[in-house]
Amino acid sequence: MMTEADYYALFEAYSHGELAGPARANLEARLAADPVLALRYADFTEMTGTLRAYGQRHQVRQRLRGIHAAMLAADAPEEISKPETTEPAKLTYSVNPMLSISRTEQRLREFWSGHRATVGVAASVAILAVFATLLGLELYRTSKTQPSLYGYQVLRREVERIKKNQKDLTLTLNQFGKPSTGAPAPVVSKFSGTGFALTSEGYLVTSYHVIQGADSLLIEGRDRQRYHAEPVYSDVKHDLAILRITDKKFTSFGRLPYAIKSGQADLGERVFTLGYPREDVVYGEGALSARSGFEGDTAFYQVSIPVNPGNSGSPLLDERGNLIGVVSGRQNDAQSAAFATKSSYLVRLVDSLAAAKPAAPYHLPRYGQLGYATRPQQLKKLQDYVFVVKVFE
Amino acid sequence: MSRGKLTSSSLTPNDDALIAAIRSGDERALAHLYRLHWPMVSHFVLQNSGSEDDAQDVYQEGVMVFYEKVRDGSLELSCQIKTYLYAVCRRLWLKRLTSKSRFGVRLLDDEEHGPYLNTGAEEDLLAAEEQDRRFTTMSEALNHLGEPCRSLLEGFYLLDKSMQDLTAEFGYTNADNAKNQKYKCLVRLKKLFFAHYKEEPI
Repeated sequence: MMTEADYYALFEAYSHGELAGPARANLEARLAADPVLALRYADFTEMTGTLRAYGQRHQVRQRLRGIHAAMLAADAPEEISKPETTEPAKLTYSVNPMLSISRTEQRLREFWSGHRATVGVAASVAILAVFATLLGLELYRTSKTQPSLYGYQVLRREVERIKKNQKDLTLTLNQFGKPSTGAPAPVVSKFSGTGFALTSEGYLVTSYHVIQGADSLLIEGRDRQRYHAEPVYSDVKHDLAILRITDKKFTSFGRLPYAIKSGQADLGERVFTLGYPREDVVYGEGALSARSGFEGDTAFYQVSIPVNPGNSGSPLLDERGNLIGVVSGRQNDAQSAAFATKSSYLVRLVDSLAAAKPAAPYHLPRYGQLGYATRPQQLKKLQDYVFVVKVFE
Repeated sequence: MSRGKLTSSSLTPNDDALIAAIRSGDERALAHLYRLHWPMVSHFVLQNSGSEDDAQDVYQEGVMVFYEKVRDGSLELSCQIKTYLYAVCRRLWLKRLTSKSRFGVRLLDDEEHGPYLNTGAEEDLLAAEEQDRRFTTMSEALNHLGEPCRSLLEGFYLLDKSMQDLTAEFGYTNADNAKNQKYKCLVRLKKLFFAHYKEEPI
């Protein structure tokens, strides 16, 4: 009985043609007759064939690697163009010119072609992020400085910048004379607006956005008289705030020369205002140009008075010297469109406060005294009742 | 051995000569062929988000397919060698890319390499893949075979050593002993090989 290994010896001899005539004929006959043996032989040839092919592939791979390495080592295109063969057929090929680029460039190109999609995505994300941040910051800032809508500018004045310049100047001047013994730096207010007397008992009115976020308030009159004040009540919606002077030494404003109108003023009425957009009091004049404010807000008038930052809280008076509004803001993209809160809202506010047990009684001025005076006379009387409101944060 | 059908209309005489030279086992012809088309394939792979190493792998694989077809004379070339190689390497690289990428792959083709479809490369590649699978199984079987057997068979079949050399190397008393040992090893290899090879799904 032959083992499988014996058969293999036989098969190998047969496939190498080493078998003698009779043995060979015998095996061929058996292969034809015996399917099991034939299968065994087929397996044998397949396996040895695979083994040999496997070995060959290994060799070819080695060879190709060698060729590749040699090609890289040669690295010179002209060497490739003329491989001399002694074969009958001459191999004269017109060779593609090698891409002659340096190593670094090669590497850069590889990197780029491999990662350009990623790089592109990253770059666009970065750009988007930058612009989103910038836009967001801008929106945040505008929403902070302008409590109202975009395009609407409130008119409180940022004093700090001006004051800071002044302080620097003083400091420089001081250093010229006596070094480092300058006067203690004055506390500088951050914002300023205008306010005016509401009652003779020491209540004042200004715009809410002037005192927004205030730590302390200082009221300064034309005669440089200063009082401390505190907010008593504020109406954010109509941009109104009522302040009260807290100083002990303060007694009374005296009789107020203007009355507060509780009704509505008419379109086209000549109006004027008095405020502190700068250190000195400034007069402004115009007409009542609309009975609604920014974007149709009926709590406001639109007036054609040129107003500037610092005018917020200025009184708006008609020709007879009746108070008809409180200046609040202006529209940025429109020519001289200023807005003022209607005085009827102020009256309503005072009434509702009076109902809620005030600390000190209110006596709203009923009758004006300015009715038939000329404008300069009116202003002379008025200016004692208009104040700078300085805000410290 | 049937000579591959070469439709000479689309084949340049140079291609013809090159194939003949390679078939006759000329080392320099293979090297020449290799260098000749390397820039094309490397450019293609680099352009399609591959690296220099990727290009080398793909190209060597492609040349291998071509070489083996030439050697056993079953090459049926209906186009230039250049186009054939381009088609093979393109297909190979596409396969690698799709297996690597989660997204769909779109290749940038060099128009100059012309109609790379219908070059017969697809069928050749399928055959080559089958062959690859067979080789993988074989190498696994060899790994499982255990030591004296493996070295003996590798020495004989892969490295083409003679039986006398192997007898000396492995310390057998005579060549017949070594031969017997080899046959026994073959029997074991056969079991391992066919067990793995047959059970794998096609």
